[in-house]
Amino acid sequence: MTQILANSIVYASEIAIIAVGVALSYSILRFANFAHVQFAVVGGYLTYTFAVLAGLPVAVATAISMVLTGGLAVAIDRAVFRRLRTISPEGKMIVSWGVALFIRSIVAAIFGGASRNFPTEAAPLALAGAQVTSLDLIVVAATLIAMVVLRFLLYRTRIGTALRALASNPDLAETRGIPGERMIGLMWFVSGAYAALGGTLFAIETRLQPGMDLIILLPTFAAVTIGGLDNVFGAVAGALVLSLAQNLLISVDFGTLLAADSWYVPTQFRDYIAVGALVVILLFRPRRAGLATR
Amino acid sequence: MVDFVIYSTTTIALWSVLGLSLNLQFGLTGLVNFGQVLPFAIGAYGAGFAAVHGLPWWSGAIGGIVLAPLIGLLVILPAGRLAQDYWALITLGAGEIFRLTMVNVPAIADGIEGASVHRLGDRTLAMLLALGLLAVAWLILHRIAEGPLGRLLRVIREDETLAATLGRNPLRFQMLVTVVAWALAGAAGVLYAHVTGYVSPASFMVIETFVIWTAVVLGGPGSNLGVVAGTVLVQLTSVSTRFVAQWTHLPSDLVANLRLATFGLVLVLVFLYRPQGLLPERKKAYDVDRR
Repeated sequence: MTQILANSIVYASEIAIIAVGVALSYSILRFANFAHVQFAVVGGYLTYTFAVLAGLPVAVATAISMVLTGGLAVAIDRAVFRRLRTISPEGKMIVSWGVALFIRSIVAAIFGGASRNFPTEAAPLALAGAQVTSLDLIVVAATLIAMVVLRFLLYRTRIGTALRALASNPDLAETRGIPGERMIGLMWFVSGAYAALGGTLFAIETRLQPGMDLIILLPTFAAVTIGGLDNVFGAVAGALVLSLAQNLLISVDFGTLLAADSWYVPTQFRDYIAVGALVVILLFRPRRAGLATR
Repeated sequence: MVDFVIYSTTTIALWSVLGLSLNLQFGLTGLVNFGQVLPFAIGAYGAGFAAVHGLPWWSGAIGGIVLAPLIGLLVILPAGRLAQDYWALITLGAGEIFRLTMVNVPAIADGIEGASVHRLGDRTLAMLLALGLLAVAWLILHRIAEGPLGRLLRVIREDETLAATLGRNPLRFQMLVTVVAWALAGAAGVLYAHVTGYVSPASFMVIETFVIWTAVVLGGPGSNLGVVAGTVLVQLTSVSTRFVAQWTHLPSDLVANLRLATFGLVLVLVFLYRPQGLLPERKKAYDVDRR
């Protein structure tokens, strides 16, 4: 049982750190940004470039990757989304897929389709009866620090207050002298940088490949939806709930429950939980959903 | 050269049906379907299932065409009354789930290996069948778009509440649209399977959905003629870049990636500079008094 919990927390950490960015941009710009997952992929590849190809320490490479990916997110906003602020949320979603298609194809064109591995060594550890690796601890620690920093930024600084004001009432925030576009730029930087960190952690734990976006996509959006789409820390809770549900499903021995032979749900079926969670949330939260249109 | 023309025409015709089907959902009714590849895949897997299990081809065809709209209804049921954000997520998820099921359950149609389907040996016949399907799709969608139903669907697209105040239940019409659109896309899938002679999960990636979206957005959402024109442009680029790869000896996956990057860029640029598309939907004015 502690093993399931440990696995869930590690997986939830990777997803949560990507998901907060989706919730952040949704809360302020009111659209689901499907290009966000690509920021994670780009971040992973940038870290790989600096750490493995240029030989920098992984921590330094990750920091550079976060800054560059944050910059990329701001640049994409300037070039595309900023000029489409007034179109419908559906339109923005479709555009975000155009951006996603572009980024993923460019990454695949540069790095090729083959998967790559970070040459990191993970020492196995036993922690309260669960088998974890030193890498798992780093992933969870990094996520915890990132969440504390984000919490501090959003709730303890003037910038955070301004961001939250923009999210709750953009017009009022602007009239009160909050520089809307500059705050939105900052928001993009933060969500891009966080996605890069999440993508890096994900790639270090598993492997780096252009198709990674599809592996992250459904769990990320399911986590954000469970959390209520525009709720940043709701997305973190969503990631935990989702991850627990997924790990419970694949570790329960359904075979001995129903018949004599041992049978587990194959790990590939994790994504069913993601989509299943989406459906359940949609069926039981119909009223909240109306809020999302504008 | 003749082979190339026949092959391109077949491809364009099939993808035009998919585009028209998406146009009925998004262009006319405003439904953001990010899983347009799903009905296409269901149709193709209808054929694949029949082939693997030794059933006659027509049972697979009927199965695919009937199952596609039924699954469509199942997919829109939880999302029906909700905002378009959720629509997009649910349809996207459903498409991926279907693909993952086909990968992980080899009993249906040989899993990731893919299944062989009876291939239409006569390529001209294949082309004519594809063109025939396109003609049927065109007739149906043209009638819907120009008739009173099309007017109502546009009302739903612009303002669901307004449609409801006119005594029309938006969800019922959205279900109707889904049934028609998914059946057409399912039929395209069945034909696709028999044209290529092979069905595999790799043909139904999320990316495929966005190639269809690029064609619809480029051509002009809401305009059937525009959508067909957009599909011609997109699919001509698609098939001709395969030959570019052969001539220039560039690796084919590099060319494929650059092609997809171009489609993504086109999608963004159209939204920035020509959101109505190349051949926009004509705005019609109705004067109630002077009929």
